[in-house]
Amino acid sequence: MRHPALILATAIALALGPAPSLGAQGSGKLQLDTFSLANGLKVVLAPDHSTQVVAVNVWYNVGSRNEQLGRTGFAHLFEHMMFQGSANVPKGTHMALIEQAGGSLNGSTQDDRTNYFEVLPSNRYNMGLWLEADRMRSLTVSSTNFENQRETVKEERRMRFDNQPYIGSLLKGATAPFNPTTCFAYGHELIGSMTDLNAAKTEDVKAFFDIYYAPNNATLTLVGDFDPSEAKRLVQQYFGDIPRAKEPPPVKCDAQFNAGLRTETVNDAKATLPAILHVYMVPEYKTPDHAALELLSSILGSGQSSRMNRAIAREAKAALTTQVGVDITGAHRGPSTFYAFAIANQGVKTDSLDKLVSAEIAKVATDGVTDEELSKAKNRRRASQIFGLQQALNTAEAIQSASMFLGNPAAVNSDIERYMRVTKDDIKRVAQQYLRPENSTVILIKPPEGPRP
Amino acid sequence: MTRSAHISRGALIAVALLAVPSIASAQYPTKAPPPGAVKPAAIPPFQEAALANGLRLMLVESRRQPVLSLALMIPAGDSYDPTGKEGLATIAAGVITKGAGARSADQVSSAIEGVGGSMSAGSGNDFLTVRANVLSENAPLAFALVADAVSTPTFATKEVELARTQTLSGLQLQQSSPSALASRYFASQLFGTHPYGKYPTPTTVRGITVDDLRAFQRTRLVPRGALLVVAGNIDLATARKLAEQSFGAWSGTPPVDAKRAQPVPRSKTEILLVHRPGSVQSNIIVGNLTLGPTDDAYFPLSVASKVLGGGSEGRLFKTLREQKSWTYGAYSQLTREKDIGWVALTAEVRNAVTDSALKELLKIERSLSTTPVPKEEFDGAISSLVGSMPLQLETAQGIAEQAGRFAMLGLPKDYLRTRRVKLANVTTQQLQSAAKSLLRVDESLIVVVGDGAQVYDKLASIAPTRIVSVDGDAMQPSDLVTRTTSLPVDMTKLAERADSFTVMLQGTPAGFQKVSLSKTATGFTYRTAMSLGAMMSQTQEATFGSDLKPQAVKGSGSVQGMTLATDLTYANGRVKGSTSVPGQGGVKTVNVDTTVANGVLDANMVGALVPGLPWTSNAKFTASAFDASAGMVRQLQFSVVGTETVTVPAGAFPVYRVDATGGQAPSTMYITTAAPHRVVKLAPAGAPIEFVLVK
Repeated sequence: MRHPALILATAIALALGPAPSLGAQGSGKLQLDTFSLANGLKVVLAPDHSTQVVAVNVWYNVGSRNEQLGRTGFAHLFEHMMFQGSANVPKGTHMALIEQAGGSLNGSTQDDRTNYFEVLPSNRYNMGLWLEADRMRSLTVSSTNFENQRETVKEERRMRFDNQPYIGSLLKGATAPFNPTTCFAYGHELIGSMTDLNAAKTEDVKAFFDIYYAPNNATLTLVGDFDPSEAKRLVQQYFGDIPRAKEPPPVKCDAQFNAGLRTETVNDAKATLPAILHVYMVPEYKTPDHAALELLSSILGSGQSSRMNRAIAREAKAALTTQVGVDITGAHRGPSTFYAFAIANQGVKTDSLDKLVSAEIAKVATDGVTDEELSKAKNRRRASQIFGLQQALNTAEAIQSASMFLGNPAAVNSDIERYMRVTKDDIKRVAQQYLRPENSTVILIKPPEGPRP
Repeated sequence: MTRSAHISRGALIAVALLAVPSIASAQYPTKAPPPGAVKPAAIPPFQEAALANGLRLMLVESRRQPVLSLALMIPAGDSYDPTGKEGLATIAAGVITKGAGARSADQVSSAIEGVGGSMSAGSGNDFLTVRANVLSENAPLAFALVADAVSTPTFATKEVELARTQTLSGLQLQQSSPSALASRYFASQLFGTHPYGKYPTPTTVRGITVDDLRAFQRTRLVPRGALLVVAGNIDLATARKLAEQSFGAWSGTPPVDAKRAQPVPRSKTEILLVHRPGSVQSNIIVGNLTLGPTDDAYFPLSVASKVLGGGSEGRLFKTLREQKSWTYGAYSQLTREKDIGWVALTAEVRNAVTDSALKELLKIERSLSTTPVPKEEFDGAISSLVGSMPLQLETAQGIAEQAGRFAMLGLPKDYLRTRRVKLANVTTQQLQSAAKSLLRVDESLIVVVGDGAQVYDKLASIAPTRIVSVDGDAMQPSDLVTRTTSLPVDMTKLAERADSFTVMLQGTPAGFQKVSLSKTATGFTYRTAMSLGAMMSQTQEATFGSDLKPQAVKGSGSVQGMTLATDLTYANGRVKGSTSVPGQGGVKTVNVDTTVANGVLDANMVGALVPGLPWTSNAKFTASAFDASAGMVRQLQFSVVGTETVTVPAGAFPVYRVDATGGQAPSTMYITTAAPHRVVKLAPAGAPIEFVLVK
């Protein structure tokens, strides 16, 4: 049987694009060449001639955190617009060109960033660069395209969020620790509201493009089998004369830890069993504590032998599935989330499930974890990073992640140490410090009631 | 469409490279830049060794990352299953990684999870393959786990039953999926008595015993003839040492099988129509046998197949879907196996255009052998094929998988490195002559799964057409008339009620189902909600009139992360709307717009009618019901086969035991003898799943 925890993870990843691959690092260090063009475009080159593949990867420093009140959902809507054609690439041509080259492409939106990528055989990477340059310099923002994509996004929302049990609640949970008046950036939902999407105008979208889709707000990463001097020449030729834009307005988030226990009840029309979601506010991605919390989430929730799965699902038979993780909708440059989620077995009251989940978390705070558990969590983290580095795209994403969340692309080569340094005492301490009731929101997810089934 | 690929033309590549501006201030190009030259794949030469027990070892050494991938391939695939035991290799593959040597299933998964690795096994026509991926520091563990899986599997009853259940559910899903049915009939017709035509059935899967699995392991999972591919960060001496330690005690030689006779090609085009009453679409497969696995004509043929139907740029897709809007998709696929390969063109089309689409498909297929492919289109196809190859070889796992398969098929050792260049050198003339000899338009097998009543006459005008039922029974054109039978329902016995069931999986609660019936102004609403946690969850709401006519069905849910949705409206003898249909590669939405005869129910409302039927100890009822998820009208049969008392959480009840057939899977229902009659237990046949009434 498929591991249940994977399913929701997959569903979230589907909803937002490909799963993020954060902070990867192998034993072989990556050789990076980092520079900026005069217009502010940051470029990171990581040549690797062992396979004939190149990943062209652009991260724009924009996500739902940049959205304003009344204008939510723009970051994701805009991701769709980026596939609607540009001055020299008629609508539909981008995908056809990549398909004819035997490559693959996609884009995705998170809280802090929006990414676009092409994976190509190395003799065609120049085309990937040019396609990214063309849409950065001359995207077609027509009302027809806009209307069309707005409907697509609304449909995507219906299919992937409104029509799926629990996903909507998890996304709500991602915003739960944040007060929208002091931290609107993380206090509103990634997918945005239907009302805002309906009210959006073509001019709003044009303005969004002008502010955020500029070279000085983007990082271009090339990984794989290319000649660095040729790549530099092409980057200059294709991107060099795209004008710089004004710096985007800063993002503010005043968040308060230990703001007091909050409980919420969400009526989930698609759920058939009640479920419980604990969300805790935790420090930002780059901190040592975040690494400890991430390893703890693995100990509690990853794999057949994880604590939650063993104690709550298999032994107490109180949950059908459990899931524990950090950064529900992507890493943050700012406070983020740790969550524990469990779907109740039939006949199990959410109260008793809540007690079981709280007890597992409290047990870490009082008794800590074992050496074996910690080493297993470290092994998994390290292995998944190294497996990821076999592929140009994952490597490019890891470099981008290091650049954005750790402030330096080269940190891709050292970030694993943050995890390897974590001790049993650290795990116990972060559990005590952050996973406390007064720092949490508990969401009870209720299926529809009454004479209905 | 811009096609700037000149990949296969050396001279043009040189020109293209010269054209790349060499100064930083060069102008921004308004056209996509041209490609650079194609190089042979950067795969290091394979190193080989043989163990004393006959196991071949092949190493693809790569120091890029400290990872290691193992793929052990054994000629023990599905085609070796003994007659009557079809499904044996599939189930064996499902169980050998679930406990072996000194480790239980939990210990195996804990060991591999603990080092952040992964392990799996599967079977195809020719080979059973066991794979493991680990960091190279865990090489000994990976060798040990793979060796244990093939040499000392435990075959614990619990794991065997779980694998059996999963195989049976898979078969059930295939039976309700028109595309899977089409593939299955295509294989059985294309290969006849050749073992590639074999197919497991619920009966053969249920008949497989632990002794069968042990015998299979003893005779087929043996080192002689098997290949262990090791890719990644390891040298030959170490790999050899680990292989000897782990696999050294493994012994055996496979039985000498009678030489297989090659399947017989057709001498003329024939159609097999698989009749699915009320099917809302026709699934078409057209194809023929092609080549042995080492024939170089594969290269021009694969370009022909790409031009024909390799994705959204193929001719089939562009014509049948984009130009004519007849299909949801239309593709061409080449398969290469040990004995022989084949080509299959597939299309799913609306009933009304089944014949037009089939004729057009054959016309497009024929065009490849009669008319040279224009240069731009030809270059685009080659460029896409050549370009996608390196993307499959980025990981040690990808390399091990491909290198192993090519070696087992008997391809040359440098194949993985040279195939890009060989493909890039194909000419349009070679393509045309390969199409002429290998796309046998006038000697094709055509399988159509669809509503015979709507498509038989049209198909018969294209080629001689035989008809079979979904279960494979021969049918005559006169059998195609849709029968509708009405149920003797006493509507006054239908009252508002709600029942709640627990879903038991192997005796353990795994979820629930709730059903309820409520009155509306004109009839009733019947709701069902089922949940297996995050794995599956589904709600359906069927409304029908007091005249038993279905009015609407709305449903939603998700299965393993895939969204399902149904929205149907019945009016004026038609049903319109949309529903999710499982197909190759996931779920897709299919529009429904078809006639339904008077008296046809909707499959989702049938459960509501149980209390209204005159149950007796020898009752038999038949209902015609439209099943939107299967896209067909089913003849559902309910026969009382006995009486007994069953105990469920809701209490002990005297019941009729009722065989229910004709649905997605046969099942046994237990219905109270006392009125109001209600279902207290339901058990799909052959699966360790039961629904038991809680209240």
